Amino acid sequence: MNKRDIIAIVLVTILSAAGFLYFSLNHTSGSTVKITVGGKEIGSYPLESDKKIKVKTENGFNTVEIKKGKVSVKDADCRDKYCVSQGEIESGSIICLPHKVVVGITSDKSAPDAVAH
Amino acid sequence: MKKLIPIFLILLTLTLCACSSTTYSEGFYAMNTYMSVTVNCPESKKVVKDAKNTIMDLDKTLSAFNKNSDIYKLNKNRSADISVETADLLKDAVNYNKLTNGAFNPALLQVTKLWGFPDNKYRIPSEKEINEALKTAVPDKIEINGYKVSLNQEGEEVDLGGIAKGYASQKLTDNFKNMGVESALINLGGNVQTIGTKEDGNPWLVAIKHPEPGKQYLGQLKVKDLAVVSSGAYERNFRKNGKTYGHIINPETGYPAESGLLSTTVIYKDAVFADAMSTALYVMGEKDALKFWADSKKNFDIILYNNKGELLVSEGIAENFTADIKYKVVKKSDYE
Repeated sequence: MNKRDIIAIVLVTILSAAGFLYFSLNHTSGSTVKITVGGKEIGSYPLESDKKIKVKTENGFNTVEIKKGKVSVKDADCRDKYCVSQGEIESGSIICLPHKVVVGITSDKSAPDAVAH
Repeated sequence: MKKLIPIFLILLTLTLCACSSTTYSEGFYAMNTYMSVTVNCPESKKVVKDAKNTIMDLDKTLSAFNKNSDIYKLNKNRSADISVETADLLKDAVNYNKLTNGAFNPALLQVTKLWGFPDNKYRIPSEKEINEALKTAVPDKIEINGYKVSLNQEGEEVDLGGIAKGYASQKLTDNFKNMGVESALINLGGNVQTIGTKEDGNPWLVAIKHPEPGKQYLGQLKVKDLAVVSSGAYERNFRKNGKTYGHIINPETGYPAESGLLSTTVIYKDAVFADAMSTALYVMGEKDALKFWADSKKNFDIILYNNKGELLVSEGIAENFTADIKYKVVKKSDYE
């Protein structure tokens, strides 16, 4: 390792810390995990509370896990297991094409911006 | 080193995104309550900081309990030169007293003090004490000439607490609009005012707190460019001998208002009006409140919840209102 490498590592560390701080500070509560099969919603769950959901479809199953504000597909019997390989997400969605399962995180539109009292 | 470059670039992009972010929100305590101001615009941080300072300054001049305030000085010296801003707001308060036929009264401080509401040292005063204190509450006799104000009724003490938050909210709103801010949310202890829409173009979603314990919301409103102000005795009250005494005093009796309404909300473009009227409607009770609303030249909307569990929502706002409980849409033509 030369000097430039060290500078680069230090910079990357600082920047990742900054990025992490930004996203963790702006992390909006009230997000919802929505699971659909073939476009049909089969359930939605708060991102805040940990939960394991077994999604059964005509073509097979996917086990969705909500843990510490992150979502992943822990297990599935689909052929490519691409959904499982995507790991944990905090936003966006995990899609299992063979089972037509979409696990999406949406910021909760039904949570009010303010409460008058 | 080369392997690090893409990672470096990605992180740099993320960080730059963070810097150009235009939403800023800050919470703070003022006017004895928790407030938050959210602004979406360039330099939003500066805009919010300035807003906070504006409120702190208003708190200092408008509070009846700050020894350096305009109102304290006026109550103590009976006659005083105060800021034009405070004098104008006092004038508004006196006008609202007339408009509401006395239901809103800015000169009730002697009465609320008897009940111990300002300092949370609650007690039930005697009828004699209440009648004596009520005699001092004559807003008509307040003389206002520019910045010169005189309290002509013996013992009279004014308190702008009933509209100070509304005024602060409206002042911020006017400031924001003058600055060209197109998206902001002001929440001064539950007095909510919205400027424009959310950053994504959707209207702001404002819930109305349910006045009964253990229940969350009466419903939710989609609003833009409107103030939403609720009144009720469900937050500031005390219990004695099995009875609950709320902080909103009926200026006619000197006792906590028990009109049958548990929550009144006024939705209007002007937060000062909304603040004064939500209190006034609460004091009036359902029948008079509906009549007052129907007869008013101002095009404001209302949400009323009574002790029979009935929820009334005025026609002008009904299509932007959703609730889990049943509600009735009221039309002006039914009460005129």
